[in-house]
Amino acid sequence: MKKIIAGLALLTASSSAMAVAPGGENCGWGNMLFKGQSGLGAHVIASITNGTSFNNTFGMTFGTNGCSTSGTLTYGGASMVSSIMGEFSEDVARGEGDAMDTVAVVYGIEKQDRDTFAKVMHENFAAIFPSEDVTAAEMMASMEAIMKSDATLTKYIA
Amino acid sequence: MLHIFSSTHSGIRTTTLLCLFLLFPIHCFAGNNTDDIRESVIAQATEMGLWEKTEWLNLLHYSKDSDAYISKVNDEQFFYAMDGKENPEAELIETLKNLFSQTEDNNQQTQCRFVARVAWLSNQLDIDKKSLPIVDCHEYLQWYNEIRADSVTMIFPAYHLNSPSSMFGHTLLRLDNKEKADSKWLSYAVNFGANIDSDDNSMLYAFRGLAGGYPGLFITEPYFKKIQEYNRIEHRDIWEYELNLTPVETEKLVKHLWELKDVNFDYYFLDENCSYRLLELIEVARPGIELTDEFILTAIPVDTVRAMENAQLIEAVSYRPAQATEIQYILELLPDNQQQLVIDLSEDINVSNTDEFTQLSDLKQKKIVDLAYKYLRYQNTKTVRDPAIAKQSYKLLQKLSTYSADIDVSTTIPAPFPPEKAHKSKRVTIGLGERLNNKYADLGFKMAFHDLEDNKDGFLQGAQINVINLNIRAEENVGLRLYQLTFIDVFSITPRTEFFKPLSWRVYSGFERQLTFNKDQLTYHVTGGAGSTWEIIKNHQYYALAIGRLEINKQLKNALEPAIGFITGFLSHFNHTTARLEVSGEHFEDDVYRLRAQYTQNFAFSINHSIKLFARHEWHEDDVDFSDVNISYQYYF
Repeated sequence: MKKIIAGLALLTASSSAMAVAPGGENCGWGNMLFKGQSGLGAHVIASITNGTSFNNTFGMTFGTNGCSTSGTLTYGGASMVSSIMGEFSEDVARGEGDAMDTVAVVYGIEKQDRDTFAKVMHENFAAIFPSEDVTAAEMMASMEAIMKSDATLTKYIA
Repeated sequence: MLHIFSSTHSGIRTTTLLCLFLLFPIHCFAGNNTDDIRESVIAQATEMGLWEKTEWLNLLHYSKDSDAYISKVNDEQFFYAMDGKENPEAELIETLKNLFSQTEDNNQQTQCRFVARVAWLSNQLDIDKKSLPIVDCHEYLQWYNEIRADSVTMIFPAYHLNSPSSMFGHTLLRLDNKEKADSKWLSYAVNFGANIDSDDNSMLYAFRGLAGGYPGLFITEPYFKKIQEYNRIEHRDIWEYELNLTPVETEKLVKHLWELKDVNFDYYFLDENCSYRLLELIEVARPGIELTDEFILTAIPVDTVRAMENAQLIEAVSYRPAQATEIQYILELLPDNQQQLVIDLSEDINVSNTDEFTQLSDLKQKKIVDLAYKYLRYQNTKTVRDPAIAKQSYKLLQKLSTYSADIDVSTTIPAPFPPEKAHKSKRVTIGLGERLNNKYADLGFKMAFHDLEDNKDGFLQGAQINVINLNIRAEENVGLRLYQLTFIDVFSITPRTEFFKPLSWRVYSGFERQLTFNKDQLTYHVTGGAGSTWEIIKNHQYYALAIGRLEINKQLKNALEPAIGFITGFLSHFNHTTARLEVSGEHFEDDVYRLRAQYTQNFAFSINHSIKLFARHEWHEDDVDFSDVNISYQYYF
């Protein structure tokens, strides 16, 4: 019974963290460039044991780590993109990379359009990442606006 | 609300009416009917002796301890029977009983909660699905659809000396989906770890971890979090072993995983750890395969990878280098002046306006900017976000974005020697030698894992981790006696470069013989220290550490005698041999001191066999000096 109560408390805690949108404080891990992406403390503890500490759950959806944004993506998709915002910004600047591919998959972009996606993102780096203080929600809003106005990518933005 | 109530009500009335008309009272009372079916199913299961089947024992994590069964799950909610933890038969009967019972919350009904048990039982027994309560397992289905796995990969993040639980590496599983194959980042990782109390410090952690004081749980989370954690934050290379589990076997594993949601196991650092639990999952996926039996005292992650390999489960191996590995590799390909540019540019974006930079080709420029960015992020991996660093990083990205995406700066890092092909974890040695002018034969056993001078292939270079290292000597004029018993010995020497500034350190503790005032005394000590290592040329390192020591030695004045000292030496790796020349010493109160010079050379003539030469000379106070030389054969198994 104690366990169930603890579990409930945990759930409540994580859902209240989710309410702190966008790119809330517990969102993502260390090594983050953009504002609002931190959460190293929990990591340090976890790394000692391969273990887990409080903000872990069984991972029902991607939304378990406290990031929240609104947009055309589902809740899980958006929180996923904001969790890899640092890696994604690097790939956009370079023009390719695993994070770029991952974001393309999250947006449901078909294989034949992935190169276009990468190219369009790269060319619009300055618009998507106008400063180091951009939030995940702002980043996604700009991305989606750019995709919408692109002949190939517009179909992925409903 | 009212509507629901009245319709149920009328439902009952209709049934009653139907009964009266048809005059088949037995069939009308669904309750009785279910009871009969349930009893016949239970009778069938008992007759078949289902509870003794491997599949059932695996699903409930039972192991046989002499004649009695006991489950490794330590959680009441995992069992229906009061004595379920010790009684597989009672648990099977109670599971079947509950299978036919309605619950208030659908998700708690047996069909939703224990999906793998139910799937297996339905396969074995004649259970008419129509006789079971109708349930909607939406929590399970939502999760299952999110995971959507059809194959499994075992993940091995390599050794990480600066964290006690990762010293021996770690293993987890990744659930892959062929459709999502182009982005493994989106696959789910399955990790078994201790659910720790964040107030505990590392010492307490180590103790509680060994003693089983932490509950262990399975966690599933997206794989990109693991990449962030291991590749980026902890700078560990990741090895990925694709397993040949079929989609059907994968489904069994995933279903069973759901049963383990929030379920507590005891977590033991040495044996029932992350790696051991994963083997149990594989046993559930492929009934009949036996992976866990050989791991009695320890389950070292790399040994569990070997167990998978021996069971022919591994289909393909791939390597995902850590960010630090990548930076280091690319840097080494650059000429010195360009390496300097990387450092300068990471500190100041204006370096990109200097002639030295602008005269380079676009490809070179893009490579340097890319690397400068990675290096800056690497340096700030473990720090809190600093606005100035963030701005600096952003400016580098801005610069990087000015180069065409068509200029390809990606570099494929060649995979190093794979960890599962390295020398094995346990070791026995037989040696002959002479110490204090006394000939001796030495018999040694080491439970785990790797000495600085052991064959480095597949290990972290400059990382020594030894656990339980025992030497017994038969000495000419003395007889058989304990020479040393080391409990733990961790020695980390990683060279400093212009880019990387790691600390070198050593911690070791155990019993050892020390000649003290003419008596060869068995002592107990704890020794630790820190310092630096420099690489003179590739594979040749020089190290120097300051140490502190506490010794329990009957010949010394205090019960617990403190000393200060040093360790310094050269470590040279050649193709098939490693040599180490070391000078070390410690100084106690009242001018009691020990100074020693020693040389060790290990010739590996195959992965698991080597010959080691050892020579040491030691000087003490009052002009005492003596030597110890030996030759030994070492076998790793």
